[in-house]
Amino acid sequence: MNRSMYLSIGIVTMILGVMLAVQFRTNRYIEQSVPADRAQELQVELSKLEKDNRKLDREIEDLMYKLEQAQKGQLQAQAAIEDELKKARIHAGLVTVSGPGIEVVMDNPPSQSRRNHVFIIRDEDLLRMVNELRGAGAEAISINGQRMISTSEIRQAGSFININLERTEPPFHILAIGSPEKLKSALEISGGLIDYFKDLGIVVKIQSHSSVTVPAYNRSLQFNYAKAVRKG
Amino acid sequence: MWLGIWLAVLGLALGIVLGLNLPITIPQAYAKYMSVAALAALDSVFGGIRAAMEDHYDNRIFITGFFSNALLAAGLAFIGERLGIDLYLAAVVAFGVRLFQNLAIIRRHLLKK
Repeated sequence: MNRSMYLSIGIVTMILGVMLAVQFRTNRYIEQSVPADRAQELQVELSKLEKDNRKLDREIEDLMYKLEQAQKGQLQAQAAIEDELKKARIHAGLVTVSGPGIEVVMDNPPSQSRRNHVFIIRDEDLLRMVNELRGAGAEAISINGQRMISTSEIRQAGSFININLERTEPPFHILAIGSPEKLKSALEISGGLIDYFKDLGIVVKIQSHSSVTVPAYNRSLQFNYAKAVRKG
Repeated sequence: MWLGIWLAVLGLALGIVLGLNLPITIPQAYAKYMSVAALAALDSVFGGIRAAMEDHYDNRIFITGFFSNALLAAGLAFIGERLGIDLYLAAVVAFGVRLFQNLAIIRRHLLKK
């Protein structure tokens, strides 16, 4: 009886000691940390911020998607513009082009002295030639390396012919890109240009090529007076 | 009797050392109940000392009183929390008053000798 009493007193007081010590430590811990209601407040705030965050994330995603679409659109537009520009440059003759076509060599009638020709090729002959080639669907024409563009001139200047302000002399190498058969037949048609030239004594040679390279216009194009008219 | 008191002091010291070194902390939400329970337990121990001084110490009453008081105090605080009444204040006041009474009686007994 007595022994069990002492034992129980010891155990009970020990439990009390543990309780007091734990409570003491817990209180100290609580003092160091945030109070419960403050924690709850913070938790509410946190959940609100998380919600906001999710919303903003969705917005980011949406905007990124839109931006991507816009960029894609821009890229497409840019590609289209570049494509258009390339086409325009080819049309304008600012790009060296190659393709099937014919080569025409025209030379003055042979004579003893080069200075004293009975008949020489004049600008009109070249103009007629260019005109005929264009009529036959030539897409690019050059004479002695001078590309024919919209503003190109072929003009007699004394014993020379100026093409693109450049002096040229016979023999004239004319390159034309287009359907070789069409071009050739347009020139060789009986009673056509070749017949006419041959009558004059001009030496003309025509050769079809599967690939002819026509050089680009090598001067700068500058329009000082012509301005584009805006539609509307 | 004096052996019992010394044993109680020894047990208390041992318990405090043990409690300080054990890595136990109570969640904040339960700290309130624990504090009330600790107060009730303290009151029970002083009640036991007083009973021993008055020579009518009963081991069974002491043990059951200790645990039932502690549990009742904690339960009261818990129910009060759920009901929206600070019932733990009642426990604090009741056990606090009894604690001081017991202390006073113990003091008198000690001074009489």
